[in-house]
Amino acid sequence: MNGLVCEGITLRYERSEPVISSLSLTLEPGLWAMVGPNGAGKSTLLRALAGLHAPEAGRVLLKGEPVHRMAARHRATRIAYVPQRSSVWAGFDVRTIVAMGRHALPRRDETIERALDGVALLDRAEEPYRSLSVGQQQRVTIARALAQLDGSEGGVLVADEPLSAQDPAFAARVMGLLRGHVERGGLVVAALHDCTTALRCADGGVLLSSGGTLVTSGPAVDTFTPGWMERVFGVGFDLVRTPGGPALLPRGATMPL
Amino acid sequence: MIAIALRFSIGSEGFALPNRADVWSLRLTNVVAGVSVGMALGVAGALLQAILRNPLASPFLLGLTSGAGLGVVVATYITYLATGAILMSGPPVFAVLLGSFGALGLVYLLSQRRGTPEPTSLVLVGVIVSVCCAALTSFIQHLMPDQGMAVYTRWVMGAISAETGTVTLWTVAGATVAGTLWAMTLGDDLDAAALSDDEARSVGVSLGRLRAVSVLIAGLLTAGSVLLAGPIAFVGLIAPHLARRVAGPGHRWGICATALAGGALVVLADSGVAFIRTPSGRMPIGVLTAIIGGPLFIWLLRREREL
Repeated sequence: MNGLVCEGITLRYERSEPVISSLSLTLEPGLWAMVGPNGAGKSTLLRALAGLHAPEAGRVLLKGEPVHRMAARHRATRIAYVPQRSSVWAGFDVRTIVAMGRHALPRRDETIERALDGVALLDRAEEPYRSLSVGQQQRVTIARALAQLDGSEGGVLVADEPLSAQDPAFAARVMGLLRGHVERGGLVVAALHDCTTALRCADGGVLLSSGGTLVTSGPAVDTFTPGWMERVFGVGFDLVRTPGGPALLPRGATMPL
Repeated sequence: MIAIALRFSIGSEGFALPNRADVWSLRLTNVVAGVSVGMALGVAGALLQAILRNPLASPFLLGLTSGAGLGVVVATYITYLATGAILMSGPPVFAVLLGSFGALGLVYLLSQRRGTPEPTSLVLVGVIVSVCCAALTSFIQHLMPDQGMAVYTRWVMGAISAETGTVTLWTVAGATVAGTLWAMTLGDDLDAAALSDDEARSVGVSLGRLRAVSVLIAGLLTAGSVLLAGPIAFVGLIAPHLARRVAGPGHRWGICATALAGGALVVLADSGVAFIRTPSGRMPIGVLTAIIGGPLFIWLLRREREL
């Protein structure tokens, strides 16, 4: 079994209420979208899936191995992580940051070139990372994660809002890159705030409600429905057919015409 | 850098080359001590700046210097109580070592979170331990006659003394080279540690172990330098910045460059104090490094805007 399995995990930051309580979830290889209101615990759950947050109870297993117990170098060969906001302290250039994805792996220049080309930043490779815009920095981080997983068929990519700073064209491009990883046999789990993107692009969906409860998970078409969405967000949703595919639109936010 | 260091050091103490063997050996002692002290402070500074992700981190942040200072006054005071006299010779080795490792150990233990030193706690605990040691130092100074103050005052400004025992000198110099090489092997990990904690871990850095090892190496290097020359200001802060201008942000060669820059700085400063004669004897080297280092740092800061 190649997927990620959560067995009754409870996640908590020191001396506070649990963010997630006894959550069980199985993610098969494929593209999974995680959706839920602000503060529902998506980021914490993703950190646990990436082995970066040790559960207080339960375990997250990858091929039967608890991810938070793996040695960092070993885990890096199987799981890559894209945080919501990346930060780099020193004045490294873009290429060096992407190459850090190969920290625990043999460095291959063509892998790094391909990853940079994938996010359309090959021409900025020699510039300091910190001189880039937030959206470009986010793409550098995605390129680093993809470089890290290059050659690891079945590797896991955990991404926290990878589209948050992307314009529509780059959002589509990034989703294409994630899809490419899935087609090579990988597993992607990404928190997304755009329900339509989640519905159209993902194979599977995970819906969390505030308080960190798992509302439902399963095939994306069965998860991102007006009924479930209303239950999680407390506003009505319309499922609309458009020439580009189905769209899930919230009702509350529209201006009266 | 090596060339600069050697040239200036040989030209020091009057501009003539020495023509007697014993003078050569005295100068060799000075040069070895200076290079070792500068390397140690520079590399320790580079390690701490990397793991704390703070361009203002310096080796003295670890509380070790104030601890050593406390060791010096306590030893002076105990000698005074026992013999009724203040010994004006250099501070005893064991007092410096006990003081520095005591303070380092305290800072290391108190800044632990989940088994590893945590950056923010490390800075705060380091400052607090330093302040406490300094306060105790002042208190003990008050219990002694004025010459007791003088011993500490001379020590605290730093000096590269030709009186250092040969064994101590070569042991510390050897340990400094070993520590520098060890730090260089951590280069790739230190580079990746420039990422946020989660990202560094996710690309395969054992962050806890890296921090613990770095603090340990930095502590040992600094203790060695304090043993040879007392606390010398600014070298540990500036050498990494100078090196970064030459070698870029990468740590493997950055640490090598920092060691060279630090060594050169201290030997230059030592040549300076040997050259500038004041009526009361040699000026303490720490005074010179601070006078030159302060403006130099401001200049770097303005040149780079972002350090």
